[in-house]
Amino acid sequence: MICTFLRAVRCTEKLHRSSGKRLFLPQLMLNKAGLQTEPNLRWRLQEQRKMVRPKCILGVTQKNIWTQGQSPPRAEEDSGKQVSVHRSQSGETVISTSQKVKEAGRDFTYLIVVLVGITITGGLFYTIFRELFSSSSPNKIYGKALEKCRSHPEVISVFGEPVKGYGEATRRGRRQHVSFVEYVKDGLKHMRVKFYIQGPEPGKQGTVHLEVKEVRARQEAVARSSELRAHRGQSDASYGFVFLFSQNPESGEYEFRYIFVELEPYSRRTIIVEDNRS
Amino acid sequence: MEEYAREPCPWRIVDDCGGAFTMGTIGGGIFQALKGFRNSPVGVNHRLRGSLTAVKTRAPQLGGSFAVWGGLFSMIDCSMVQVRGKEDPWNPITSGALTGAILAARNGPVAMAGSAVMGGVLLALIEGAGILLTRFASAQFPSGPVFAEDAAQGPVAQLPPSPFGDHRQYQ
Repeated sequence: MICTFLRAVRCTEKLHRSSGKRLFLPQLMLNKAGLQTEPNLRWRLQEQRKMVRPKCILGVTQKNIWTQGQSPPRAEEDSGKQVSVHRSQSGETVISTSQKVKEAGRDFTYLIVVLVGITITGGLFYTIFRELFSSSSPNKIYGKALEKCRSHPEVISVFGEPVKGYGEATRRGRRQHVSFVEYVKDGLKHMRVKFYIQGPEPGKQGTVHLEVKEVRARQEAVARSSELRAHRGQSDASYGFVFLFSQNPESGEYEFRYIFVELEPYSRRTIIVEDNRS
Repeated sequence: MEEYAREPCPWRIVDDCGGAFTMGTIGGGIFQALKGFRNSPVGVNHRLRGSLTAVKTRAPQLGGSFAVWGGLFSMIDCSMVQVRGKEDPWNPITSGALTGAILAARNGPVAMAGSAVMGGVLLALIEGAGILLTRFASAQFPSGPVFAEDAAQGPVAQLPPSPFGDHRQYQ
């Protein structure tokens, strides 16, 4: 019993190894070469497999010896065929120079396409990150201003709670983009943003205008405030703006110069949320 | 214009769903027509019949899945607008991520997370492209001149209306 069992195990081992080898290689190599004998070979192999497996499981010794006796020459013949096929195949596939050039050209164009794609994707990512995360983007400023408007009591009394804000409407109806203008004045960047707010009160829509200015570096700010105080005593004109020149680089932070809410296009009423102009 | 005077949001869902369905059906129709044409036996009649069969079978499926994606995305977007109270580029990105997650819900949490990341990244790219396009389109107009100082007339300060007239830069 043990002998038959061991032989059966050995047989299944050999079967797995040989059948794996035999079935894998012919299908690859012969498929590539497209030989005529391939269907015959495959049929023969499958037949062998079907025949051999149940006999191994049953563990009949004579049939085991028969199949073992039969398979090695078969394997040799097949491997001989495979070897010869492989050799002729590798002998024929010498890549000519023109083909090499074509392949290189193709690879090069693929590389160019990949690089262009990566560049465009990187540019889009950079844009969206700068838009959402940089504190000098119009979107962030719009967000901060909206928070200020929401917490302003006069705005709440006019519009009700909660106040929602939106920007310009595109053709599809999405209103995420606020309209803004950037300009540089006296070496500092100013930005004017305009968006709309609306509350639960029906029919009331307000336009919020705001302007931000880039903050100078810290040591200049102190000097600026003292100079402003000095100037305020002397100025009398209605244009009460004092612009100081600063040679220092900007810090990149923005502060609000003014925020006001305009109700109705005919400017019946204006709510000043913040006014830091003077 | 009158149609922009009303709230876009609930109507936008139907709009987006229909647009997505159209895109999916037409694109899928073209794609499946070519595929069916190629995967048919030789002979123009066979090929035409094969391509028509492929279009009839597969194109509505693609249109349907596009419509589901678009409708769900728009619904989540409008819900976020309602909840947050402001319209931001953050809304579409989060909506894309949630849509991807919901539509992969059958395949377990890991697949949901992966699909959410893909949806969010895709929408972020689309938003970035939208921002770039609007900025370049509006930068074609002459940029705003240096504004004259605005009048500081006390509480009723107003900006002169003309600089905002044509020199507006849309984000």
